[in-house]
Amino acid sequence: MTDEFKHLTSRLFKSNSSKTGILWEIFELQRTRNPIYKSFSNSFIDRHKRPESIDEIPLLPIRAFKESHLIVDQLEPELQFRSSGTGQGTRSRHLVASTDLYKKTIHKGFERYFDPDQFAILCYAPGYSDNPESSLLWMMNELIQSDPTGLSRFLPLGNPLTKSDFEPALEKGKNILLFGAAFGLLDLIDLKSAKLPDEANIIETGGMKTYRQSVTKEELRKRISDGFEVPGENIHSEYGMCELMSQMYAVGSEWFEPQPWVHLSVRDPSDPFRHCKPGEEGKIGVIDLANLFSCPFLLTEDRGVMNEDGHLAVLGRWHGAELRGCNFLLEQD
Amino acid sequence: MESTLQQRIELLGEAINKWLAPDNYVLKEAIDRTVRDGFFSFEDIRYQLLALKKSLTAGEFRRWITRAGLKQHKPSNETVLCLHAGNIPLVGIQDILAVALSGKRYLGKLSRKDPWLPATLLQVLQNHELIHGKWTTHIDELAGEQAYAVLFSGSTDTAAPVLDLLEKKNIISANTPRLVRTAHFSMAFIEDEKPENLRQLTNAVFRYGGSGCRSVAMVVAPFSFNHIKCHLTDYIEEFWLRNPQHKKPPPSLFYRFAYNRAVGIEQSWLDHFLVEETSHKPDEPFVLHWVDGDRQDFIDLAWKYREGLQSVYSMDPGFDLPEELPKTEVLSEAQQPPIWWKPDGIDPLRWLEHCV
Repeated sequence: MTDEFKHLTSRLFKSNSSKTGILWEIFELQRTRNPIYKSFSNSFIDRHKRPESIDEIPLLPIRAFKESHLIVDQLEPELQFRSSGTGQGTRSRHLVASTDLYKKTIHKGFERYFDPDQFAILCYAPGYSDNPESSLLWMMNELIQSDPTGLSRFLPLGNPLTKSDFEPALEKGKNILLFGAAFGLLDLIDLKSAKLPDEANIIETGGMKTYRQSVTKEELRKRISDGFEVPGENIHSEYGMCELMSQMYAVGSEWFEPQPWVHLSVRDPSDPFRHCKPGEEGKIGVIDLANLFSCPFLLTEDRGVMNEDGHLAVLGRWHGAELRGCNFLLEQD
Repeated sequence: MESTLQQRIELLGEAINKWLAPDNYVLKEAIDRTVRDGFFSFEDIRYQLLALKKSLTAGEFRRWITRAGLKQHKPSNETVLCLHAGNIPLVGIQDILAVALSGKRYLGKLSRKDPWLPATLLQVLQNHELIHGKWTTHIDELAGEQAYAVLFSGSTDTAAPVLDLLEKKNIISANTPRLVRTAHFSMAFIEDEKPENLRQLTNAVFRYGGSGCRSVAMVVAPFSFNHIKCHLTDYIEEFWLRNPQHKKPPPSLFYRFAYNRAVGIEQSWLDHFLVEETSHKPDEPFVLHWVDGDRQDFIDLAWKYREGLQSVYSMDPGFDLPEELPKTEVLSEAQQPPIWWKPDGIDPLRWLEHCV
């Protein structure tokens, strides 16, 4: 990695690194050395001018990860992640130029909320085993490998969680952090898993597509809380995807807080430059500065809503179908 | 066919003639108001009314009744709730007429985006004692009613909250039979560049600004859009001269254009429409997807997108698709279907007669 890039990445996570400072350096990097983003942003902004605010930065539709090769300076990727095949058509491919940066992003994001010294992390991710290029698996593995006690691990698939899975960690004075795909956690409950200690924490990573029925986030949290007999405030959510280096966490609620190097917004699907008001649903916009070598300025296909505090609730996928045909029925009564 | 039913069909034919008569000033006022309120263009309303004039005849009603297996007139107080969309003028007319022919009671939630036109038809039908019930644009005004069946057109996403709301208001119960139509786009296969075919294609794509589930959002042809662009653009311009597009695309369309340009997708920006050479699922208004492909590609794409696909059109009436897919229709009928056509493959009259 060049000195220029080392200098940039070294400042990403510094607490005093103002997003507006490094943000514009990364914007310039993208619009000059990422051919896809260059072409895209030039359609909106004069190439000799800088946007006046973060809100004027064009967010590239996230499907660009399916339809193009997103990397600056044609860097040789050290890692490659692919989305799961549950969606229709082509899978996304995220070329990661720096493994170290990805590791750092994972730890910085996770450790903001959870002290790794206190926890043994038990990961359960069925449905991802057929995707060795899953970023979720890679992230879980990284958290597991970073535990020097060796108590963190992947749980075997298809078996209920038993006391023997977590008692050794409790005996060593560790708290339990069960980290799993949402449908996997429900499967564990259905398999009659053992109840967890009251102080255990659970992180669900979303992902309900393959589950046999649809469940709202509120219902999901309640079912996980009831199923493992863990208080609701210890049930957390993680929002991440193969196209993003960073993960967001919603601690004890369904409201996600952006990481300091991430800017979250909700955009009007019919005018992606317009920010939706708090309470108004739209497509989730993410500026993830840790994506500086692929593309940090992204408009996702996820449906979300912001609250007055600038926290985000993820409501599922945005379905465009209602914009077209006989689908104008739901009027505000 | 039983004589009362026969008489009812004749009466319905008369009522429709009265409704569509040039001296129906109530309809004329509704048209003016609809245009004034900016809901639809005069040209689109006129087109729809002319199409209805052709299809709403006693003969067509007889054919519908025969197809639906309706044997006799059975007046009933069972209430059918119709939740009408408002994306194209009078889009819910088939449901209204199905309830009228079924003899059941009509309860209508009209769209606030098309409130005036259907009300004129309902009034004429009521005056002829062909329909009984009530209609409104506000769900709240349906409070106190109890529906025995529901006809709904909308997306899968909007269906659930609307039906939940109706349940909360005790207008329906969890067990109320419901016919939910969610298809939202159609596909066409064309094989040549004959002027008549290109004119029909233009109407099938661009009428109502591309709104409506019968509008073509994906074309498969054995040539690229680029190949036919100059030629087809003449027809599109001719169409837009006669039928200025009422609804203009939102800023997101330019966003899509910028994205396509960035990733190298072939596309053409027409005045109010984007034609892109992709086989992506149609999910955005004002976008026509053009696929250079053959009959098998057409079948494969229809199969891939069967969920959400309303109709498939071809110039060749002998072009059959697998049974699980919609039956091929002729392109000229895309925007003027017979009254007995089956949205989402289900005849609402037959459904009311046999499935409720």
